[in-house]
Amino acid sequence: MAAQHFFLLSALAYAVGAGVALGGLRWSSLREGPWQHLAVIAAVLLQTIGIGVHCANSSTHFFTSAAETLWLFSWALGIGYLALLAGLGMRSLGALILPIAAALLAASHFTTQPGEPPAAAAAAHPLLPVHILSAFMGYGLFLTACAASVLYLEEHRLLKRKMFGVLFRSLPSLQKLDRAALLCTWAGFALFTLAVGTGAFLAKHYGGGETWYLEPKILATQATWLVFLVLLVGRLSGRLVGRASAKTVLFGAVLVVATFLLAHPFREAAPRQGAASAPADARGARTSVEAPELGCRS
Amino acid sequence: MSAAPAFLLVGLSHKTAHVALRERLAFRVEDIPHALGQLTGPAGFHEAAILSTCNRVEIYAAGGAAADASGLRKFLASFHGVNEAEFAGALYERRGAEAVEHLFEVAASLDSQILGETEILGQAREAYRIAAEAGAAGPVLRQIFERSFFLAKELRGEGGLSGVQASVSSAAVELAEKIFEDLRGARALVLGTGEMAQGIVRSLRAAGVSDLVVASRTLERAEAFAKAEGGRCAPFEKLPEHLAQADIVLVSTAAPHYILTAEHVERAQHARHGKPLFIIDISVPRNVEPEANKRTDTFLYDIDDLEAVAGEGREQREKIAGSWRPKLVEEARSILNELAEPLPGETARMLVAHVSEMRRAEIEALCSAGIGDAEAMERIERAFDRFQSKLLHGALATLKESARDGDGATAAQWVARLFRLHAPQPEGAVKPDAASSPPAPASKEDLKEKSREPAGAKADSKES
Repeated sequence: MAAQHFFLLSALAYAVGAGVALGGLRWSSLREGPWQHLAVIAAVLLQTIGIGVHCANSSTHFFTSAAETLWLFSWALGIGYLALLAGLGMRSLGALILPIAAALLAASHFTTQPGEPPAAAAAAHPLLPVHILSAFMGYGLFLTACAASVLYLEEHRLLKRKMFGVLFRSLPSLQKLDRAALLCTWAGFALFTLAVGTGAFLAKHYGGGETWYLEPKILATQATWLVFLVLLVGRLSGRLVGRASAKTVLFGAVLVVATFLLAHPFREAAPRQGAASAPADARGARTSVEAPELGCRS
Repeated sequence: MSAAPAFLLVGLSHKTAHVALRERLAFRVEDIPHALGQLTGPAGFHEAAILSTCNRVEIYAAGGAAADASGLRKFLASFHGVNEAEFAGALYERRGAEAVEHLFEVAASLDSQILGETEILGQAREAYRIAAEAGAAGPVLRQIFERSFFLAKELRGEGGLSGVQASVSSAAVELAEKIFEDLRGARALVLGTGEMAQGIVRSLRAAGVSDLVVASRTLERAEAFAKAEGGRCAPFEKLPEHLAQADIVLVSTAAPHYILTAEHVERAQHARHGKPLFIIDISVPRNVEPEANKRTDTFLYDIDDLEAVAGEGREQREKIAGSWRPKLVEEARSILNELAEPLPGETARMLVAHVSEMRRAEIEALCSAGIGDAEAMERIERAFDRFQSKLLHGALATLKESARDGDGATAAQWVARLFRLHAPQPEGAVKPDAASSPPAPASKEDLKEKSREPAGAKADSKES
């Protein structure tokens, strides 16, 4: 079986999980049943197998094409959600996360944008897989935190406006949503910091050039890191709580998406800033390790 | 002029009026006896009871046939100093069987937003107790209220309403669980020590709230409440300090003003660094300033909000209630019919009261005539006592035996007719059939005369 088959099956499992989660907002029997857990576990397993098969078939451990990026992104979301499901039992969060995970996998099926292979030296470096995994897992956790924050804001709105309908009854408590967002942010930030560090190291030592850190996606990455740093400091000091904290997570998630778009796996390759002035051999290397980014052109 | 008195109801509830209006027309418990005195005095009703809860303000009254709801409306407006036009649209009026049926539904919680809630039965009992103690409840109210209590219990038990019971207490817990992840570490501050507060506190305790602080202006009450619920008592003056440490605040006092202002909450929240504060205000009139809810980290809910939470998913309870409504309608008609017939026990009480009153009047007349010294008067009084006992012995024994033989109603009617005893007979009562009636009086004129005696009916019902 080709990797794509596993990803399609995984998308199907995510879709089933999303259906159960959305139905669970209305029917408690569906919410309390084991189907969502089973669907998510199946989806993540199938995705993991798919990624393994892809790596074995292509003899690579880097992910540069648009489709590869979407696989990893979806996988990171699935892992993050599975962790929350196991730790906090936040089933209603699946109504937001699982449709996105399914959509990303479905989109990967229609994406043909090829990736750029990394320089041989960078590709062989042991830090590269660490960089890739930590970056994707960091982003996945940030988006999971974002989903929890969206639900937090909605729950808060329902409580303040005194709208006690079906959605109100199916959502977890405000504090639980807040805790989920905080846990994901802490874990995501730790992984993201690791990704930024390893990416900077690889970019600096494997042909990133003098001004590698000034590229738009790198700047977006730095801004994302800074926003989450401010959020965590604010949480620790007790100055950024409740709605303000949730809104900051949302802002950070917007930066994640911006970084994703700036990583340009979906647009036609265009000459990038500084590329023309760089030596030919350095250009190839630079392409490979630009920085921790969603495209992960390592 | 007809002798048949009317059973009336005038009121407003959560179904017709917002809490902002209800709180303006609510009666404080300590004011109710005085209000009842006005109703049975200047307002001219024979009997009256006031049911004033956080959900409803209702006046039940029995009066002469000429009595109508406008008298109750005017009383409500004048007692509270509120223009009648302000609440006319929210007011409902019932008469006769409809009024009885409404009381049955209220006591059985079928008229509550939370079907199956238990607080209303206790509140109805309390309303009747106050009326009885104030001397405003006579045989009509007694029988109707007692039947309503009986039916409410039956509906809870046999009807199965208790099995699907939802209450303000569980709604409060549900809301708390929507804000706090785990109630086990939460601290609850209770202001006021009412019965409803007790219910909510117990539910919160059952949900895991372990730290309970009770503050009341009456320290003894706070201590008793805290002891009963396993909390600790705090002086009311230290409210700001306790507010800053509380996660859940339950306010249920009888104060007619705000005891927790937006400023109190603002100060407390500054000290709490934005931790959520859940405030439940079940007082009517409300005791927490509504502006306190403007802070994003404060969640203030009043009684209407709690009921909206509990009111969701009431299909099952509605089904049970729907099946019981026809029975309540039937019971309402039945009790009015019973009230139209003097019952043996009631007639016996009326007879004793009637003769005692005659005896007392005669003794007083002798006293004022100064016919003898104290010793002579005492002898006369004892003689009258013996005479009364002998006179009534036969009649009372007959009533008792007839009741045992299942013919109490006929005997009661005979005795009532012989001694001219008249209890008020509410409108809507169906006349007893001819077979169970005693023989017709000597003439038609006599019948007419009997039907024109509302004054006596009032006096008798009061005495009994």
